[in-house]
Amino acid sequence: MGKEHAQCPNLPLHLMQPPVLHKIKNQTLWLSPLRAIFWEEERALILSDLHFGKTGHFRKAGIAVPQAIYKEDMQRLVNLLQYFQPRQIIAVGDLFHSKANQELEWFKRWRGDFAAHFHLVRGNHDILHDEWYKEADIEVWDDDLIINNFCFTHEHCQGKKAIYTFCGHLHPGIVIHGLARQSLRFPCFYFAKDHCILPAYSKFTGLAIVESSKAESVFAVVENSLIRM
Amino acid sequence: MQLTHTKGYQVVHQWLSSKGFQPFAYQEESWQHIVNGKSGLVNAPTGTGKTFSVFLGTVIQFINQHPKTYQSKGKNGLLLIWITPLRALAKDIGRAMEEVIAELGMQWQVGIRSGDTSTADRQKQKRQMPEVLIITPESLHLLLTQKGYPEIFKNLQVIAVDEWHELMGSKRGVQVELAISRICGLSNAQLKDKPGLSIWGISATIGNLEQAKDVLLRPITHPQPLKGSSSAAKPWLNKNGIIVRASLSKSIEVESILPDEIEKYPWAGHLGIKLAKKVLPIIEQSRTTLIFINTRGMSELWYQTLLNVAPELAGAIALHHGSIESELRNWVEEALHEGKLKAVVCTASLDLGVDFRPVETVIQVGSPKGVARFLQRAGRSGHQPDAVSKIYFLPTHSLELVEAAALKSAIEEEFIESREPMILCYDVLIQYLCTLAVGEGFVPDEIFSEVKSTHCYSELTEEEWREILFFITLGGNALQQYDEYKKVEIENGIYRIKSRRIAMRHRLHIGTIVSDSMLKVKFITGGYVGMVEESFLSRLEPGDSFTLAGRQLELVMIKEMTALVKKSNAKKSIVPSWMGGRLPLSASLGKVLREAFGKAGMVNGDEIELSVLQPLFEVQQKLSLVPAPNELLIEQIETRDGFHLFVYPFEGRLVHEAMAAVLGYRISRITPITFSIAMNDYGFELLSDQPIPLDDSNAYELFSSDNLMEDIQHSVNATEMAKRKFRDISVIGGLIFQGYPGEYKKARHLQSSAGLIFNVFSEYEPDHVLLRQAFQEVFDQQMEEVRLRQMLERIQRSRIVITYPKRLTPFCFPIKVDSLRENLTSEKLEDRVRKMQQQLES
Repeated sequence: MGKEHAQCPNLPLHLMQPPVLHKIKNQTLWLSPLRAIFWEEERALILSDLHFGKTGHFRKAGIAVPQAIYKEDMQRLVNLLQYFQPRQIIAVGDLFHSKANQELEWFKRWRGDFAAHFHLVRGNHDILHDEWYKEADIEVWDDDLIINNFCFTHEHCQGKKAIYTFCGHLHPGIVIHGLARQSLRFPCFYFAKDHCILPAYSKFTGLAIVESSKAESVFAVVENSLIRM
Repeated sequence: MQLTHTKGYQVVHQWLSSKGFQPFAYQEESWQHIVNGKSGLVNAPTGTGKTFSVFLGTVIQFINQHPKTYQSKGKNGLLLIWITPLRALAKDIGRAMEEVIAELGMQWQVGIRSGDTSTADRQKQKRQMPEVLIITPESLHLLLTQKGYPEIFKNLQVIAVDEWHELMGSKRGVQVELAISRICGLSNAQLKDKPGLSIWGISATIGNLEQAKDVLLRPITHPQPLKGSSSAAKPWLNKNGIIVRASLSKSIEVESILPDEIEKYPWAGHLGIKLAKKVLPIIEQSRTTLIFINTRGMSELWYQTLLNVAPELAGAIALHHGSIESELRNWVEEALHEGKLKAVVCTASLDLGVDFRPVETVIQVGSPKGVARFLQRAGRSGHQPDAVSKIYFLPTHSLELVEAAALKSAIEEEFIESREPMILCYDVLIQYLCTLAVGEGFVPDEIFSEVKSTHCYSELTEEEWREILFFITLGGNALQQYDEYKKVEIENGIYRIKSRRIAMRHRLHIGTIVSDSMLKVKFITGGYVGMVEESFLSRLEPGDSFTLAGRQLELVMIKEMTALVKKSNAKKSIVPSWMGGRLPLSASLGKVLREAFGKAGMVNGDEIELSVLQPLFEVQQKLSLVPAPNELLIEQIETRDGFHLFVYPFEGRLVHEAMAAVLGYRISRITPITFSIAMNDYGFELLSDQPIPLDDSNAYELFSSDNLMEDIQHSVNATEMAKRKFRDISVIGGLIFQGYPGEYKKARHLQSSAGLIFNVFSEYEPDHVLLRQAFQEVFDQQMEEVRLRQMLERIQRSRIVITYPKRLTPFCFPIKVDSLRENLTSEKLEDRVRKMQQQLES
C-alpha cells in the first residue's frame, strides 16, 4: 500500500502558461491559470472561494471524495506564492468551507511557513471563531476591504460600489461553443466595467454560467492556460 | 408427501369448492412443491391466480404442521415474505390474503411494509411480526438496518418474489438477490433440523425463464464456502429448483386500427391523434378500456384529444401516469375496480398490478417496443379464465403497422424477449454493506461468501471486495493526511456504522431508483397536482401555461422546490416531456420486424396490416427496395440538405446510435468528412455536405465486427455517456447526499453535483470502482456491445443492397423527421478542447 502515499500533484512551473497581463485603472494585474490574480503594485495575490477543508467536511460525514483535491489546491497555492513572492494575500471570501476540521489544522501548520500578510474578506462560508483566524494569523474583514482604490468584497459587487471592486462567491464559468453544436464549460475570470468576479480557486466547486456579452473581457481557464474570449 | 392426502390441502380444497372454485393444475403443482420444501419459479400470466399458487402453498404447509391448532395458533412469527415491486400492489394483495385467512378461520396477520407504512405500524411490527409481510425491495433492506433483525427471520419458511421478471433486469432485482443471500446466510447458520427455506419467484413469460429461476435461487443452489474455511458449504435440501408453468395459454386477439387511406396517413411525426375518432366506438362497446400510451407527455395530449372529440366522455375517462398525485391515482384505480370508468389513458404506470376485472379491452398507441410488454398489456383485459384478451394496436405513423404484423407473429411463435440480469453493480453492493453496518454490523468473510453466492456478484474478485471495504472504511486509499473519514468502523472484526447521523442519512438513502430532481406542483390556493422535472420547469417563465394531470395550469412562481400554479384558460399550453420516456426497440421485436418487412416485400401478404400498407410498399419498392429478412438495405439520397446515407438494421435506437457513430468514424478514416447523425428504432442516417464514400466495394468492410471496441472508443464520447450513468451510481453508492426530506437546506455544506464528483474522481482516482462501473454500464446498456457485435455478424452473413433513390423514401422519412438528431463527435475531450482553442485563437 506504500505506493499510494503518492506525492501531491505538483505541476512543474515550466508547463504552466505564463501569467497574462491585464491592466485595470492603470494597475498591473497578472492573471494566472492557477486561478489567482497577482497585483503587482501592491504585491498582492488575490483569490476567491478556496473552500479549504471541504473534502474533510465531506469525508467526516462519510462521503468519500478524494482528499487529493485539497492537497492539490494547497500545492497550487504554494506554487503561486513561490512564483509571485507576494507581500500579501487577499482572499475575497469562502476561504474555508465549513466548521473547523483536521484539514484546517493542516492548513494552519502550512500557514506558518509563509510570511505574507493574509487578508480575508468574510464570505458566507467563513463561519469559524475569531480566535481561530487569529491563531492562523489571518486578518478578517467583515465589511469591504479597500486598498489603493480597489475594493474587495465577497458577493454582489455589481454596480454598487464607487470604486473598482473584486469579488467571488459566484464561481463564474463560461460555455464555449464549438462547431457542430459541441459545448464545453470552463471556470473564468470575469471583468466588467466596474468589477471583476474571480473564478473559484478550489477545484472541488461547481460553476455558475455567466453571460459574456455584458463583460468587458472574460478569460477562460482551460486546463493550464488562459484563453481570452 | 402426497399433497392431496394432507390436511392442509383438504382444508383449502374444501374452502375453494365451497366458493365454487377449482384450483388450476399449476396451482396444485406449486402447492405440492412447497409442501415438499422445494424452491422454484411459477410462470403464470396476470389474472390467473398466481398469488394463490405460492400463498396458499404456505397456508397448506402451515396447516399440515399444525393440523389441530391451525385455527387458533397466532403469533407464529414471520412465515412468508412477499416481495413486490410496487407499493400500490401491496394493499390489494394484502386484502386478498386477509380474506382467505378470515374465511379459513385462521389467526394470521398480514402486514405491509413500504415507504407508506406509518411509524406506528412499524413499531407494532417490531413488537410482533405478522405471519405474512408484503414488502418492497427497498423496505426489505431497511429491515436489515434494524438491530436484532436476524430474529425476524427465525421462523421464516417461504420467500416469494412477485413480478420477478420486472425486477430482475434492474438494480432493484440486485437488491432482492442480496437480501435473499443474507436471509439464506442466516437460515444456513440456524439450520439444524428445521426444513430449509423455500424461495419462489413469480414471473410472467420471458425468454429466459430458466435463467430467471437460476438467478433467484443461486444463493441456495450455489452456497459458497466461508472464506478461509476448508469445509464445503452446507448442502441444501432443495437443489436446482423447479419451474411450474401455468399452461393456460390465454388467447390474445390483436387488431389494428387502420387509417382509411394509407396514402393520407402521416408517414411520420404524429401521435396517432388523427385516429382518435376511431377509438370512440371501441370505448363504447367495452365495459372499460385501458389506453396505453408510451410517454407521460403523449398521454396528457391523448386525454385532452379524447375529451375534445367526445365531450360526453367527461367524467367517464381518466388519466393515470407516474407523475400524477398518488391520491388521484388511487382514486382512478379504485374507480377502475368498481367499473365506474369507461376508459383510462395510462402509461407503464398500469403495466403491473392486480387485475381490474371490468377491463375488457386494451388499446396500445404506438409501438410497445417489445413483445413481452405488449403481452403484459394485452393481459390486462379479459380476466375471466376463458375470456379472450383483446388488444387494439393504433399506429402513430403508417410504417408502424408493420410492427402490428410483427407482434402478431411473435405472439403466435411465442417469441418473447429475455430480461438480462445485471452483474457487478458495485454501487448497490456498497449501499448494501453500509445497510448491514447500520444494523447488526457484519463480518466481511461471512458476507463475502454470501455475496459471492448471488448471480450479480458471482464474479466479484477478492481484490474488488477489498477495494470496496477500503472505500467504506477508509474512504478510498489508505494513508490520507489529517483525515477524519468516518463511515464504517471496524470493531473486533465487525464492521459497523456507529455515528447516528451517518446511520440516519444512510437509511434515508436506501434504494436504487434515482429520479431527476422533481418539483411538486401545487395550486397557489392549496392542493397538490403532481410532480414535474425541474429541468422542464426551469425553461418556463411565470405566466407560461402547461398541462399536467389533464389540467391547464399557469405557472405563478417557483418557491422552495414547489411550483405554485393557478388554473389557466390559455388555448395553447406546453406539455412537459418527462425524461426516460423513450424506450428502445427490443432485439426480439427487431427480428420479427425484419421478417414482417420481408413478408411485405412479397406479393399476397395475407396480413391485413401489410395489405393496407401495399401502396406505401409499392412506392418504397419503386424508389428503392423493400428488404428481405436476409438483406441489409442502404439508401444514398442527395437532397438540398446534403448527402444522406440511410441504413436499416431494425435493432433499436440505442444500437443504431452506437452503430452510426462507428460507421461515421470508419468512413471518416477514408476521407476527412463531417456528419450529423439521426436514428430511430428502424434505422439511422448519416448526413454530410459531401458525398459519402460507401459503395459495394467497401460496404462489408465498413460493417465488420473487427476492432469493434477500439472503433467504439474512438467514435463515441464514452466519457460524456459515463458521466450521465454516474449520476445514478454516485447516488446509490452514497457519494451524493440529496438532503433530508423537507429540510434540504440544512445539509447544504454537504451538497455537490454528480458531474463535479465525476470530474474529481476522473482526475484523482481514475481507477475507482464506481467510475469503472459507469463506463461498464455505458458499454453494456447504452451501446449494448454484445448486440452491436451480433448485428454486425448478422450483416456480414446477409446481402447488403445499396440503392440510390431519386427522392426520400417511405422508409427513410420517419428517421429524417421523427428522430433525435445528434452530432458525431469523433474526438476525445482533450482533442476537442485543443480544437476549440485553435478555433478561438485563429
